[in-house]
Formats: sequence, structure tokens, C-alpha cells
Amino acid sequence: MKTFEEKWTAWLDGELTGDELAEFEASLPDKPAAEAEKRDAHKLGAFLKEQLQDRAMGNEEFFHHQLRERMAADACATNAPEQTTRPALWPIGRLVWAGAVSLAIFCVCTFFVIREKSPSDQSEYLTQVLNARVDPALGPNATISMFESKEEKVTVLWTEGLQSLPSEYATK
Amino acid sequence: MHTEATPAQADVSELDLVKQCQAGDSEAFDQLVGRYRTRVFGMIYNMVHNEQDAWDLAQDSFLKAWKSIGRFRGQSSFYTWIYRIVTNVTIDWLRKKHVKGSGAEFDDAIQLKDIDPASRTVPKAEALPHQRMERREIRARIDDAIAQLSPEHRAVILMKETEDMQYHEIAEALDCSIGTVMSRLFYARKKLQNLLRDLYENV
Repeated sequence: MKTFEEKWTAWLDGELTGDELAEFEASLPDKPAAEAEKRDAHKLGAFLKEQLQDRAMGNEEFFHHQLRERMAADACATNAPEQTTRPALWPIGRLVWAGAVSLAIFCVCTFFVIREKSPSDQSEYLTQVLNARVDPALGPNATISMFESKEEKVTVLWTEGLQSLPSEYATK
Repeated sequence: MHTEATPAQADVSELDLVKQCQAGDSEAFDQLVGRYRTRVFGMIYNMVHNEQDAWDLAQDSFLKAWKSIGRFRGQSSFYTWIYRIVTNVTIDWLRKKHVKGSGAEFDDAIQLKDIDPASRTVPKAEALPHQRMERREIRARIDDAIAQLSPEHRAVILMKETEDMQYHEIAEALDCSIGTVMSRLFYARKKLQNLLRDLYENV
């Protein structure tokens, strides 16, 4: 169902035909006034068309040139995010690797620190370097051990089962 | 609606050009721009009444068309499709700027542009100074009257009266119903008749 405005516009533009036209014209209370307004609207249309049509654009070549530049810039801008996406992703990978390596270093350091800090597990001597039998010809039950004293910072050579220290063990 | 080629030639070549554009051929798009540039610019200028703004909006419209031409399915003519973009861009701009419009928008640059630097001091008979001034005054009155319409009403009256577009084409371009187009046309005409009657009765 058309409103009055729609019918009026269609009537002005000659879009009403047949029964619709007859019905609308019959409904007009003052047909001569309506016809005058129709002519008035047509005058307005012709006037606008004459005054407003074909506004010339200056510098048409420059318009094309500028548009082509903007299209090219837009194409670059469209591709740019793909290029910047990768560098943005690499640091994340690097961060993961750096994190993993840091964690591993931390674990190793923690392991050694904890081991160093547990005094019960450690003897008075830092290292038992040697604990073995010496040449059976010198003494069948002879053993020799070497210790390092942390506090005194001395190395102790401890021998058992020997009558005397062999000459080649003497300090040179 | 007026085209530079015959309708059949225009339709065929236009469709080909659109297909080439969709394949990424910017030269083909350049040809389409050349075909519609003047009308698009004129339409925008009549809505915003400023040459520089019209230029920029025409650029924005064509750029938007280039970016979205892949979505053009050929269900309407390219002309209607581009007008849809043009009116959207322009109406959005008008809403943002809240341009109420006045004769002041008719800037000096436009007036200077009308003067041919190579012309003699006394111009030709059809462009006497007082006639030019009169034309400018008429134009300013029309611009002022159109500026009092809402962006949607401006678009409708300009498409109908200066572009000779059909109701369904206007409806497509503005993405509204034909009834809405007719209703807007009714009010836009009434308003312009009230504002410009003395002009078109006497000129």
C-alpha cells in the first residue's frame, strides 16, 4: 500500500498508470492546483538539471595519477602486515627458546648449589683422588690414598702397609 | 543516464573491464575511472559544495571501489554499484563533518578556476562579468538550498534530477526501499520548491 507521498511522487514523475492513475487523480481535492504544482516541480527539476549538471573536474590526469599512487600504497600496506607478522612471531619463538635454556641453566645451577650446600653428604675432605694398592713388590697389602683438605688447603698423601716411602714417590 | 559509448558497447566493455579489474588489472580500473570520473565528481560536488572535498571524496570512493571490486557480482550495473559507494562515502563524510552548508563553501579557488588565463581582458559575449556573477549567485543559492537537506535527501534529489536515475537504481545505490526513495523525493522537492521558487520562476 503506497502512502500519499509515494503516490504523489509517482504521479509527478509519470510513473502512475491505468487504474492507479485514475484512482489517484480522482482522489485529488483540487486537480488544477495539483497540476500547477506538478508543472512547478518539473520546472524545478529542469532548473536543477541545467544548473548542476556536469561539474567539470580540473587536473584529470593528476586525479588518475594520485589514485594510482594511492592504489599502489594500499597494495603495499596490504602486503606489509604479512611481512611484519613474521618478525612479530620470531621473538615469541626466541623467547620460548631463551626461556627453556634459562630454565635448564637454572636447574643445573640449582643442582650444584644444593649439592654444595648439603654438608652432611660431604666429608671433611673434598676429594679422594686415589685409593689403590701400590706395587705389590713393595708391599702386598700396601694402599695409598690422596685427600685434599678444604680448610687448610693442603693435599695429603696417605699410605698404609709400607715400611718406607719408595724413592720414586719422593718429592722432586 | 548518459554514457559515452552506446549502451550495448558500454555494457560489454564495462563488464570486461570489471572482470579484468577483478583479476588485478589496474589499467582496466583506470579506464573505468575515466568513464565515471566526471559524473562521480559532479555528484559529490553537488552534495558537499567544495571542490577540494569533492576531489578527495571521489578519490576515496574509487579507492574503495578498487579494494572491493572482487565482491562485485554484476547483479546491478557497475554504475549503480559505484554510486552506492560514492553515496556511502559522501553521506558518512557529511555526517561526520556536520556540514550545514552555506554560500561560504563556494570558495575562491573555484571562481579563479573559471577564468581562462589566456582569455582577453574583455571575455567573450557568453561570459560577460555580470553574467558570471549572476551564475555564481544562482549557484550559491542552489547550494545553500541543497545544504539544508539531509545527506540522504540530497542524494535522492540529485540522483533523480541531475542523473536521471530510476527509483530502483536510487534505491539500490542508497540501500533502501523504492518507497523510501519516493518519500524522500517528495520532501526534498517540497523543500527546494519553497527555497528556490523565485529563482526558477524568473531565470
